Amino acid sequence: MRNKILSNKAYPVVFLAVIVIVSVVLLIAVNGITSSIVESRKREEIKGILENIFPEMSQYELEDEVYIIYEDGERAGYAFIARGSGYGGDIDILVGLDNGFGIKGVSILSQTETPGVGSRITESLFTDQFKGLSASDIALKSEGGKIDAITGATISSRAVVDAIQKKMVEIIDTLEK
Amino acid sequence: MNDHKDRSNSKQPQSCHPQKQHVKDDKKSGSRFWKELAKGIVISNPVFILVLGLCPTLAITSSITNALGMSAGVIFVLLCSNIMISSIRKATPLMVRIPVFIVVIATFVTILSLVFEAYLPPLHKSLGIYLPLIVVNCINLGRAEAFASKNSVVLSAADALGIGLGFTIALIIISFLREILGTGSLEIFERQLFKLPGLFTHPLIFFISPPGAFLVIGTMMALFRLIGVIRGE
Repeated sequence: MRNKILSNKAYPVVFLAVIVIVSVVLLIAVNGITSSIVESRKREEIKGILENIFPEMSQYELEDEVYIIYEDGERAGYAFIARGSGYGGDIDILVGLDNGFGIKGVSILSQTETPGVGSRITESLFTDQFKGLSASDIALKSEGGKIDAITGATISSRAVVDAIQKKMVEIIDTLEK
Repeated sequence: MNDHKDRSNSKQPQSCHPQKQHVKDDKKSGSRFWKELAKGIVISNPVFILVLGLCPTLAITSSITNALGMSAGVIFVLLCSNIMISSIRKATPLMVRIPVFIVVIATFVTILSLVFEAYLPPLHKSLGIYLPLIVVNCINLGRAEAFASKNSVVLSAADALGIGLGFTIALIIISFLREILGTGSLEIFERQLFKLPGLFTHPLIFFISPPGAFLVIGTMMALFRLIGVIRGE
């Protein structure tokens, strides 16, 4: 009986199908448990970073990838996420704007740059340079802007600068409409 | 079409490591368990001797925290997939065995990735793409094909633990050297253990970069070879 089943031509197909179904069921179960935790953690994380840039923030709304920040019911500014490609992969940057579209703060959300070199884009020495600048000032000093690149990490610095500049112009365009 | 009869008697195909032949008159299965467990640590260390799974080894050993996270992940996946594959080995048709192994391994890797993302987000972030890539890590498929598909559940578990520990030890040695030389300090889970005075202010950044990984791994491989030569193997 056992040998009959095993030597059936359809058996390998059925066996693989069963394995795949079991695996899918298992993954759906695990995903069901973890997805809500992951979601709420991500929301908390974004909220924490927004609060760093807008300390008085009372609430925020997400509208077409732009975060609108409110302080006591009044609009205090905007925030958006820009993505640049650096030396070691994508760099995600959260940028806060005030009502006049000047930069209020910049925070690196994720990066995979070379540790100790390109990873220094996360340091406040670099990110604080953006404060108060308008879109036209955002370029490296060697290219006529106001940002000092990190020594030895021009590619990472330029990736951040270019990503912010490009996305900022785009966002301001849509906001002004 | 008697795949299953053939397989249990056939010699091991394409075994990619110097595995000891099955000793039939081994009376104590307990001693066999410890033997399989111990062999992975030095005699067939996955990184330094078998030279398996080098891609994550090179990429994530820039800090000891990453190395520990990666090792825990690989041990979990290796143990679960070895046990699973070993327990279905008699029912697995030979012609679809590789897809079956991949599905089993990928399932456990995805579970691991989801759990890390939910409960250890910083680690999940810093391991990045190398976490899902455990699926194609040849340590897993190598052990499934060369060991778990031919041996009992208990021995497969011992093999997984041994190889997993060997991988852990290799990763710890490499990342310890790279982190100390490359940053002048040692950090475990965001807690700084110590700083080396001169090295901290002028770290040898070369060791954190990928070429530094090659240099450290190459040196360690040479040392392990030397141990083998001295012991006359």
